[in-house]
Amino acid sequence: MAVMAVHQFAQCITCHAWSPDQSMVALCPNNNEVHIYRLVEDKWEKVYVLQKHDQVISGIDWSARSNRIVTASHDRNSYVWNLEGSEWVPTLVILRLNRAALCVEWSPKENKFAVGSGAKTVCICYYEQENNWWVSKLIRKRHDSSVTSVSWHPDNILLATTSTDGKCRVFSTFIKGVDAKDSKKGTSSDSKFGELIVQLDLSSSWTFGVKWSPSGNTLAYVGHNSMIYFVDDVGPSPLAQNVVFRDLPLHDVLFASERNVIGVGFDCNPMVFAADERGIWSFVRYLGERKAVSSGSRYGSQFSEAFGKFYGQSKHGVSNDAVETSRTRGTVHENCINCIMPLGDHGTLVRRFSTSGLDGRIVVWDLENEQDLLEL
Amino acid sequence: MASTLRLYLTCIRNTLEAAMCLQNFPCQEVERHNKPEVELKTSPELLLNPVLICRNEAEKCLIETSINSLRISLKVKQADELENILTKKFLRFLSMRAEAFQVLRRKPVQGYDISFLITNYHCEEMQKHKLIDFIVQFMESKMMFLFAFSTTFPTFKVATFTDLLTLIKR
Repeated sequence: MAVMAVHQFAQCITCHAWSPDQSMVALCPNNNEVHIYRLVEDKWEKVYVLQKHDQVISGIDWSARSNRIVTASHDRNSYVWNLEGSEWVPTLVILRLNRAALCVEWSPKENKFAVGSGAKTVCICYYEQENNWWVSKLIRKRHDSSVTSVSWHPDNILLATTSTDGKCRVFSTFIKGVDAKDSKKGTSSDSKFGELIVQLDLSSSWTFGVKWSPSGNTLAYVGHNSMIYFVDDVGPSPLAQNVVFRDLPLHDVLFASERNVIGVGFDCNPMVFAADERGIWSFVRYLGERKAVSSGSRYGSQFSEAFGKFYGQSKHGVSNDAVETSRTRGTVHENCINCIMPLGDHGTLVRRFSTSGLDGRIVVWDLENEQDLLEL
Repeated sequence: MASTLRLYLTCIRNTLEAAMCLQNFPCQEVERHNKPEVELKTSPELLLNPVLICRNEAEKCLIETSINSLRISLKVKQADELENILTKKFLRFLSMRAEAFQVLRRKPVQGYDISFLITNYHCEEMQKHKLIDFIVQFMESKMMFLFAFSTTFPTFKVATFTDLLTLIKR
């Protein structure tokens, strides 16, 4: 099985992020604090508690190179935390928001970060050297509802967003003086800040969990209508595909490779999607094994069921008119998975990743033993 | 009778399984607030189409879903005046103690006898399948209770409303 480790950190986890060397994990236990745990002799110990927000923290991201943590909260604020000596020092980011911040992500070059909000805007925050503070530029009047997730293109300029208006959008975030103009790159560095590159109106419901593939050629996001969308050649004429699945909707996705996507959500079980040689995406399988009860053992024969009813109750001790009770799915997570993070280098292949959910668990998954997935 | 109830409850269970995909979602209208969108209804894009499940004209269940909350409204079969009074008394007794039930709404939606309000906080604190079991078993036991209560006086002719109340109080 793909599960490497299961850690119960809290009663409920909102989001989590790993330190660059994976020795520490930062998580929000569904309140206004960030707890940082360190692995000490095969045991996770709480080493830091970051307290600055006064409402639930909705997003955490830990930069890989600069070792900085950025947090966003429902209190409309965002903080950048720097490790100075043995303590984390917060720096307030002036987001200029009047509604909750819902998601946050560092750009690939870590010179700026994006914050999606309930104010139907996206803040692009960058450090201003002369004033020695973090400032933000807003992408306004583009979204018709709250921005649920953001994802940076590997080129550090394009930003994809999803929203509860059912659309996925790609913007240019080119900031003069922060981003260098690259002559090799075409359209992305030519576009001015906040310019809408493409608007994808594929979903009939709320959209979440947008991610770019490692090369930046493919975009994936999910809808609350139990669908996942894949978009190639993002630009004036994008090629879009959607995959429908029978189970409960997904909430977040992760590209394990260029042709391999892992989705997590309300089904408490990671789902694997893959593209074939022709580039057609499809659902492959669940990553966590389901301990499904066979129909034979659950219901017995028709005769025994009828015989049970003769005595006024069914074989399983439920009254005649009762519907059989819901059963737990026998999965590693026992509640909705709301966050999936890669482990190791953010390169082209993700071998290990972690998921956190409302059950308060962080589960580390390994794809090394999943031979059928590695061959995809 | 039994088979239709089974189908009715199974249908409600399956609908709740799909509808109870709730998440923490702060208010878009009021800053620093977090309200059940199914009650506010200020942002139409945050609401899903309501589902009405009818067993017959007298028994139905309305399931209204939003991004962070779910409202379940039930109408219980009331064949005659006696059942009507029994239902009202019993369900009012429960509604007055809504805090103890956590997911019970103090006032039912108009046209229904009792309503539940489930928010994302309930899904965070409790297990989803247990919540669904509670609602379905509540419906089942409530129907059984009312059925048993009303059949206690099958051909009882009550002269006045006050006579009936004293009878119930006993």
